[in-house]
Amino acid sequence: MSSFGYLIKEGFKNLVHNRLMTLASIGVLISCLVLTGSAVMLTVNVSNIVDSVGDTNVTKVFLDDSYTKLEAVYKGKELSQVANVSQVEFIDKDEAIQAYRDQLGDEVFANMSGDDNPLPYAYSVKMDDLSKYDDTVAKIKEVDGVASVSSHREVAEKLTNLSSFITTMSLWIILALAIISLFIISNTIRMTMFSHRFEISIMKSVGATNAFVRVPFIIEGVVIGLISAIIAIILLFVLSDAVINSVQKILDFKYTRFTEVMWPIIGSFVGAGVLVGSLGSMVSIRRFLTHEGNEILGW
Amino acid sequence: MIKFNNVSKVYDSNGVHALDNVSLNIEKGEFVFIVGSSGAGKSTFLKLIMREEMPSSGSIVINDMHLEKLPRRKVPYLRRTMGIVFQDFRLISKMTVYENVAFAMRCVGKRNDSIKKRVPYILELVGLADKANDHPSELSGGEQQRVSLARALVNNPALIIADEPTGNIDPEMSYEIIELLSEINKRGTTVLVVTHEHELVKSFGKRVITIDDGRVVSDTDDNRFVAI
Repeated sequence: MSSFGYLIKEGFKNLVHNRLMTLASIGVLISCLVLTGSAVMLTVNVSNIVDSVGDTNVTKVFLDDSYTKLEAVYKGKELSQVANVSQVEFIDKDEAIQAYRDQLGDEVFANMSGDDNPLPYAYSVKMDDLSKYDDTVAKIKEVDGVASVSSHREVAEKLTNLSSFITTMSLWIILALAIISLFIISNTIRMTMFSHRFEISIMKSVGATNAFVRVPFIIEGVVIGLISAIIAIILLFVLSDAVINSVQKILDFKYTRFTEVMWPIIGSFVGAGVLVGSLGSMVSIRRFLTHEGNEILGW
Repeated sequence: MIKFNNVSKVYDSNGVHALDNVSLNIEKGEFVFIVGSSGAGKSTFLKLIMREEMPSSGSIVINDMHLEKLPRRKVPYLRRTMGIVFQDFRLISKMTVYENVAFAMRCVGKRNDSIKKRVPYILELVGLADKANDHPSELSGGEQQRVSLARALVNNPALIIADEPTGNIDPEMSYEIIELLSEINKRGTTVLVVTHEHELVKSFGKRVITIDDGRVVSDTDDNRFVAI
């Protein structure tokens, strides 16, 4: 057994030696990582939804239900003359219903063609200056025959706001959890050091460097970090899949699955786990070796 | 080898004057007893040599290293030049005799093949070759102290420091341990034995430095010098 092999073995022994604190450290670190991962998944998906819902520049204008196609087409000119409107595009209700059919299945809209089509004729409208959005919408509404104006812009805005709110919230929680896990890990390792202070005093008396004394404890921290990262990755995979599956039933959309964004997340989880683990142990080792761990004769 | 120059030590925490203006010189290859009753300043003396404590004033040179100038990170290399034998043996109970001695070599990064050669040789030297696979609890006090000595010797230090090495063992065994130390001394290692057993010291006729109340009150080396 080389001295390095010996140290690694010691590091693992330490882990088993105080299981309870090890479990506590792993638990907190896992929640920290899973929360981070969830926030990432949420942000990715919300921004995808926003992107697809939205060319946020496009506003839909629905015409009165009683309009015939000819009347509807004629309205286009009037709409394009409203100030700040740059482009109008006619949406045929027959094409619109067909688009829904293609997306959601024939059965649902089977009886809704021709005169039974419940959709009104509509226009999609683009604007020059989005800062005058509300004003322009008000003017469009004044146009005779306009039943309603809908914009995905509001939905997109709300989603984005919600997502950024959740992200900010989780950032604070993640920060708090990271500090807590640092604290718990450093205490776990401090405890191991305390239970090994006899061996440490012998090591120091025969001239082991602090770096050498440190190694098993850093390994302990790193292993805590790695185990947490692995469990967190599995949890996030299972959890995000379950959540996406149930949301899918309510709102059909091609959500980004965990497996699609897996590698950067796994990479940063392992990195963060190792970083927090080794940082936590380093803090406690420094304190230990300069205080109680410094005694040899009066051990 | 060991040079104390007007060394004083006052502990900040309680203001105790543990050592008061101590000067002494121990040459390479000497065998020296440091004698004193408890609280005389022996422990402080050892802590200063090991650089577990720093002197409040004065200067200390150990194995050509000036301790007051020695940076913290160099302290392990100072300690590699000395082997320490403790009163309470300080053996790791989970490890065998062999592993306890090998541990000291692992700690300073020695390779496996040199550990495998060196440890049996040292165990032979202290007369414990046949006990290599025993655990410390299976040994007598005298044997445990010899393991502790083997561990102190295994990294081939220039100086052996024994802190009350006979404090926890039978009187007959005590003589054996001192004999063994004296044997090691004959091979060129400087030996420093700290003890409060005046009787034991007398029978060996080595240099004796007596410390009392933080001062060197007698040094047989000086007496010899004065007598001439």
